[in-house]
Amino acid sequence: MYGYTGNLLRVNLTSGEIKVEKLDEKELRKYMGCTGYAAKLLYQEMPAGVDPLAPEAKVVFATGAVTGTLCPSGGSYEVCYKSPLTGTWNEARSGGAFGPKLKYAGFDFLVVEGKAEEPVYLLIKDGRAEIKPAKHLWGLNVEETTDAIINELDDPEVSVAAIGQAGENGVLYAALINDRGRAAGRGGIGAVLGSKNLKAVVANGSGGIKVARPKEFAEVIDKAEQWLKNYPFAAIPEMGTVGLLSGNNAMGMLPTRNFQTGFFENADKVAGEVVNRKYQIKRRACYGCSFGCGRYTAVSGGKFATPPMEGPEYETADMLGPICGVDDIEAIIRGNFLCNVYGLDTISTGISIGFAMECYERGLLTDRDTDGIPLRWGDAEAVVKLVEKIAHREGIGDLLALGVKRMAEKLGPRAEDAAIHVKGLELPAHEPRVESKALAVQYAVSPRGACHMHPNWPSTWDFQVDCGMKDLGIPWPPTGGMQDESPVKGVAYRYVALQGEISEILGACIFHSWGSEGSCLTPQLYAEIMKALTGWDVTAEELVTAAERSWNLKRCFNAREGFDRKDDRLPKRISEPIPDGPSAGARVENLDRMLDAYYEAMGWDRSTGLPTAGKLKELGLEFAVG
Amino acid sequence: MSKVLVVDPSKCTGCHRCEMWCSLTKYGEINPSRSNVYVIRREPAVDVPVVCVQCGLCVDVCPVEALKRNGKTDAVVVDAESCTGCGTCVKVCPYGVLRIDEETDTAAKCDLCGGSPACAGHCPHGAIRYEDAGKAAARRREQWATAIAIKIS
Ligand code: SF4
Ligand code: SF4
Ligand code: SF4
Repeated sequence: MYGYTGNLLRVNLTSGEIKVEKLDEKELRKYMGCTGYAAKLLYQEMPAGVDPLAPEAKVVFATGAVTGTLCPSGGSYEVCYKSPLTGTWNEARSGGAFGPKLKYAGFDFLVVEGKAEEPVYLLIKDGRAEIKPAKHLWGLNVEETTDAIINELDDPEVSVAAIGQAGENGVLYAALINDRGRAAGRGGIGAVLGSKNLKAVVANGSGGIKVARPKEFAEVIDKAEQWLKNYPFAAIPEMGTVGLLSGNNAMGMLPTRNFQTGFFENADKVAGEVVNRKYQIKRRACYGCSFGCGRYTAVSGGKFATPPMEGPEYETADMLGPICGVDDIEAIIRGNFLCNVYGLDTISTGISIGFAMECYERGLLTDRDTDGIPLRWGDAEAVVKLVEKIAHREGIGDLLALGVKRMAEKLGPRAEDAAIHVKGLELPAHEPRVESKALAVQYAVSPRGACHMHPNWPSTWDFQVDCGMKDLGIPWPPTGGMQDESPVKGVAYRYVALQGEISEILGACIFHSWGSEGSCLTPQLYAEIMKALTGWDVTAEELVTAAERSWNLKRCFNAREGFDRKDDRLPKRISEPIPDGPSAGARVENLDRMLDAYYEAMGWDRSTGLPTAGKLKELGLEFAVG
Repeated sequence: MSKVLVVDPSKCTGCHRCEMWCSLTKYGEINPSRSNVYVIRREPAVDVPVVCVQCGLCVDVCPVEALKRNGKTDAVVVDAESCTGCGTCVKVCPYGVLRIDEETDTAAKCDLCGGSPACAGHCPHGAIRYEDAGKAAARRREQWATAIAIKIS
């Protein structure tokens, strides 16, 4: 097989059994791979109602056809699982070297089942896997674990994906961190692996990825590299994603003090400009990525000193900063460092703290609940202290480790309207009241809850960017502007959602796919890349259909768990106007009308919001009917 | 004067694309472990592309004269027909950029792609360039000097 390795590795931690399974080329092509194929695996192999933290829960590490190839966005892998935070489907994407190295080790997918009796780690190398003891690593943080494994294997080229104390302790939004600073962040995969006693997965290999038509492939990658010179978002890597902070604040869409407003008065103190000028060591890219949005920073002294470490990204800077009212950039970098080494999702961590601060302000939490720490807006030291407490589930940290949905359940109905989540997943740092109403729809319907990544950013269409979908029937140009909530946009939302889903099923990063012909990786260009890489006669239409299959199947996975239209809701606060700042008055008014239009365009039942039997049959997903 | 590869580690992001391009160009597959350019990525924050400088030390030690200098590019190239895979050249290369290819069992090294290096042509950040030897020398001097200078700031 070309492009793919054609192998799936299945490891049962209960029995210790390790199996290599050959993948069926036709099935692979039907789903394309990565999260699409993982959705099929988990839908068919994991019955409804399984406790995500029980041994019966399965986890799929998935790469796609373009992972580890020269495709300019091909550094990604995704971990697919049922989230303990939300109870829904989850796919946590990460870059770094892990995905490519899993493929060079000979596997497109790794399925982890069962639970080890004692802590273990998994070593995957050159077509083989070994379960190795990890008792000596339990209790270590991500960095110490990574160093220890590299030392004991005496191989600095391995990629280590590890959990820290947060995952061991079952923090419901614990992350898996690969290559020290790259997070499969959202939804609590760290807790799932912790529940399996799996401390780390380590990959390396000297296998290559076979290319069906090398000459053609070199030509199309060359063309992609040329096109990307015009990429409309090319300014991002210069400053890192954290560079977005100032602009978003100027437009009144920087979530601040637990989404109470969209403007932070001290944003210039925590802006990307400061990070770049004072703390940046160098720029760094994920494996194979030509964009290179990552960077290394360090705080060289003072109470928030850190060693060099990846980040902070935009999300993190807002979540550990303005979301908590904090204007101390050194504290943010320190908090980021702690999240990386303990293995925590910075988004859920930050909002959980912000939520606690709001509850404290309202008297729902008192000094007695908070171990004597006054949770005042802007207290940088309190934030850093809370990150530690969350990772160790110590005192108030034990409550915060549950995420805002469960915290609100415990704190009572008065806390409810300050709990900023969808389906239990805390909102990321993009204000849906302002940025684009497509983003609001996306937050509501995304299979894993409030998510700005899956599928990647339908709102780009609202930014007057066609993402290559014009040829495929997307209404163009966008009408009504970004704030327009009219149902007319339903069809466009369907198309842009599927365009985004293409990168999910190919194993690509979300960057590079927003633009148009000549400036980004359009579905048409992805099809050309796939054609030369795999030798299959792939078209853009085929990619859209596979994306739709994947998108529907994830919906079906959630439906079996009891999720439907009633859960496609936004936090109450999002329907109330932003009180002040440049975007004062903005709110989401007509979510239901937008949902009606979107469901209709998707071919889903309006009252339930679920795929109809007809739609599923049309997509060849008969097994998911009912 | 002929051209040489010159690297600037301060520009390198550690993306490994040069390795991928090298293996695609040379072997028709994507496989960083079958590349003739090496990117050393270590913690914290080390990203250094390492290339063959075409010094010719390996030429002198080859017992069967399988390594020769190409007249057009001045690159040291492997004659796969006569190479026995003995590995003497691997031992002597001061930069560790010569390897025995596992598939062909012969020496493998950079041949400057016959004068249009795939790595340099595609590095997204200009960290590897194919430059005039004189200009490259000036750049190396500069790097060397600044690297060892005492930083006063
Ligand atoms: S392609 Fe350029 S930036 Fe990327 S690893 Fe090679 S030398 Fe460094
Ligand atoms: S392979 Fe090593 S010894 Fe041979 S020319 Fe290149 S740098 Fe010199
Ligand atoms: S010049 Fe060609 S052979 Fe030499 S390292 Fe670069 S890509 Fe490889």
